[in-house]
Amino acid sequence: MYFSDIGIISLILALGFAVFTIVVATLGATRALPQLVASAKRSVLTVAFFLILASVALIVSFLTHDFGLSYVAQHSNLAMPWYYSASAFYGGQEGSLLYWALMSSIFSAIFVFTAKRAPTVLVPYVLATLMGIETFLLIVLTTVSNPFVRLPVPLANGVGLNPLLMDPGMLIHPPMLLMGYMSFSLPFAFAVAAMITGKLDSEWLRSIRRWMLAAWSIQTLGLVLGAWWAYHVLGWGGYWGWDPVENAALLPWLTATAFLHSTMVQERRGMLKVWNLSLVFASFALSIFGTFEVRSGIINSVHSFAYSTIGSYFLAFLGIVIVFSIGLFIFRLPKLQPEQEFDSVISREGSFLLNNLLLVGAMFATLWGTLFPLISNAVQHQTLTVGPPFYNQVDGPIFIVLILAMGIGPLLAWRRTSTRALRRNLGIPALVAAICAAVLPLLGIRDIWANIAFAVCSFTAGAILYELWRGVRVRHRHGEPYLFALYMLFERYRQRYGGYLVHLGLVMLAIGIIGSHFFQVQQEAVLKPGQQMTIANYKLVYLGNIDRTYPDVEVVTAQLQVWHDGQLQQYIYPGSQLYASFANQPTSLISISTYGLTDLYVFLANWNGLSDATIRVFVNPLVPLVWLGGIVMLLGGIICWWPQRRKRLVSVIVPHTEKEPASQRVGALAPPSVESIVGHSDSSKAEVAPGGEGTLASPPVGVFSGTSENDEEASI
Amino acid sequence: MQTAVSVPKEEEKPKSRGRRRLPISFILGGLAILGAVIYLVYANTQANAVYYFTVSELKNCSICNTQSVRVAGVVQAGSVVHNDQQQKISFVISDGGHSLPVVYSGIVPDIFRPGITVVVEGHYTGLGPFQAQTLLAKCPSKFQAATPGP
Repeated sequence: MYFSDIGIISLILALGFAVFTIVVATLGATRALPQLVASAKRSVLTVAFFLILASVALIVSFLTHDFGLSYVAQHSNLAMPWYYSASAFYGGQEGSLLYWALMSSIFSAIFVFTAKRAPTVLVPYVLATLMGIETFLLIVLTTVSNPFVRLPVPLANGVGLNPLLMDPGMLIHPPMLLMGYMSFSLPFAFAVAAMITGKLDSEWLRSIRRWMLAAWSIQTLGLVLGAWWAYHVLGWGGYWGWDPVENAALLPWLTATAFLHSTMVQERRGMLKVWNLSLVFASFALSIFGTFEVRSGIINSVHSFAYSTIGSYFLAFLGIVIVFSIGLFIFRLPKLQPEQEFDSVISREGSFLLNNLLLVGAMFATLWGTLFPLISNAVQHQTLTVGPPFYNQVDGPIFIVLILAMGIGPLLAWRRTSTRALRRNLGIPALVAAICAAVLPLLGIRDIWANIAFAVCSFTAGAILYELWRGVRVRHRHGEPYLFALYMLFERYRQRYGGYLVHLGLVMLAIGIIGSHFFQVQQEAVLKPGQQMTIANYKLVYLGNIDRTYPDVEVVTAQLQVWHDGQLQQYIYPGSQLYASFANQPTSLISISTYGLTDLYVFLANWNGLSDATIRVFVNPLVPLVWLGGIVMLLGGIICWWPQRRKRLVSVIVPHTEKEPASQRVGALAPPSVESIVGHSDSSKAEVAPGGEGTLASPPVGVFSGTSENDEEASI
Repeated sequence: MQTAVSVPKEEEKPKSRGRRRLPISFILGGLAILGAVIYLVYANTQANAVYYFTVSELKNCSICNTQSVRVAGVVQAGSVVHNDQQQKISFVISDGGHSLPVVYSGIVPDIFRPGITVVVEGHYTGLGPFQAQTLLAKCPSKFQAATPGP
């Protein structure tokens, strides 16, 4: 009896319980038997328990170096430190599938624990859908891709993990992306449940939005970590190469972003229902497609694809998901009529539509490029590929327009905006952009596209910051100190200001991408001790190589001085390490030092003895903004997601109780001034406020959608 | 704050029946964006598409004089020669049948070594070695399985 036996038994039991859940949950819903639904919930928790048990069994097998287990022998060895051994758990195909199934079951369990917040009718169908996905994964895990297969004769030592993966990034980046892929299954389950029951109301919308926001945040983190890992480990000076595998992770992120915006239109105006559901289905289908693409080997990638039978299983699953979704649409279409209609393009919903078209356009363009080898082969019987220039030239302009829309959109009112108000709101950001466009050429930025891109970014950043400032100023006038006012804005209107923070993060990220795309400089030189190379304003003086040998790894580093502005800044040690178990595959140790917002990226390309080195240097301007922007985006996502405290009790304290519903609605609609006025219990003004143009035009539906028409009042 | 959410949106409903769905301005705006995206994709596909050959297919290539192409093959054992003075590396790739000498200068990926599959992009005149501008090494299968993302 080995630990691995516990693993395989757990997997089989989990499969049984998953199937059981589907049956019981469906029966409970159709026959209206709450006991059965309760039983389904417990069964989901049981599935999670058995998957945790299976994962523990695999991790223990790794930590105890059970090389009788094929998967352990293939992915670890005795010399690896325990944390890499443990993380090798998801370092191969079988294990990463187990990890996926584990995360899926844990998320399902989280759903069970929070199910009382979700609409009751939906719960059984959500459970059934989630366990449907789990069943698929468990079938694959127990048949074609079983991590618990034992070798006839145990090995004395394992093969070890690829050294490229022995990096701190490896500990967090792949699990994050896998978790991101997986997390799209929850919005999908909600969409399926809503389609089956026909319950597509605002309560459902709130639930699905929260889960999608969580999925979006996880995927954002996964993408940024992936870029960070590529930048710090692969040594080509960049962080995003438009490789099919990277694209696969970007695609569902784009549709999820589109969904998060267009649901606001549904929430406010009851429109775009079919579109929103399509985006949820597309996000999930694309995450399955990503897995399929990675596993099947249909597309050539730098991440070479081992041919694996598992790909066809994912293709079949993808087919089932698509057919099932289309079937549901046909079944439910009559219920999905829009409740209202569009009025004017220059309106909030108009900007959301623009945003959606651009995001989905970028998604299709990227998908086109990714699938182009297949398409061209089918049409011309010739395989053609498109490289990074294609994506840069297609997605670049789309994203610039998107960023521009990001600056204008939040300033527009629902339904229609008066040009006067728009001009007042856009004046300052436009001025900022104009100054930026005029000053940049003086600073030596002559590239017209870079100038346009930077000007657009400064416009949007200006618009967001100006909006923040106006909110703070209004609260400040009502007696709050500036910092407290800022805090209260975020505290009160999380969705809205969290959204602004995400936008600000994206602008920072865009500035970083523009900077490194247009202004990267690289140079290579073969140096002998004492020789130097100069690049941009940096001077590197080579001193020699240092060779250190440890039991399992040999490390060669070159020693260099970095001079900048006529001063010695620091010593750097770019190097290369050679693991004994992977003797023919050196891994680079890249030296990245940051001066202000510029990265000096130094890579030891080759060396000869102790006094000869080929050094490749990249100067990457603004790259730190990419990471900073990613963090800000994530922070904004978390703020949006964070549960809002219910504030109903507050209303009791305020006088004029009969006005309560109105004033609270006004508060929810985010005009800081109006709210403070209510706080001052000046009832006449409080009555004026809800009668404003915007509030009449759009029914007050909730806290998620801050309206700028109210802000216009605020700034009067 | 949740109270407001359940406020019904009924007031506007009756009006909306029977009116046209989408104002013409939306349709025009949408078409303009769609057209722009399609144009971008089309033009850039034309400009950036690169033929992808195996070594055998390259031997009968008619367009390789004028166009940059990609070729995939396995690096042959013992064929890798580094030239440190000129920063060049030369090697031979093969697809089992035919083999092709390649010259390349630039970033050599960490995992480049005999026995792995590489993709080279560049020009081939039919005479002399393939002049590669780009060298992509395919990571070993285990690496692939380990990082399903970028």
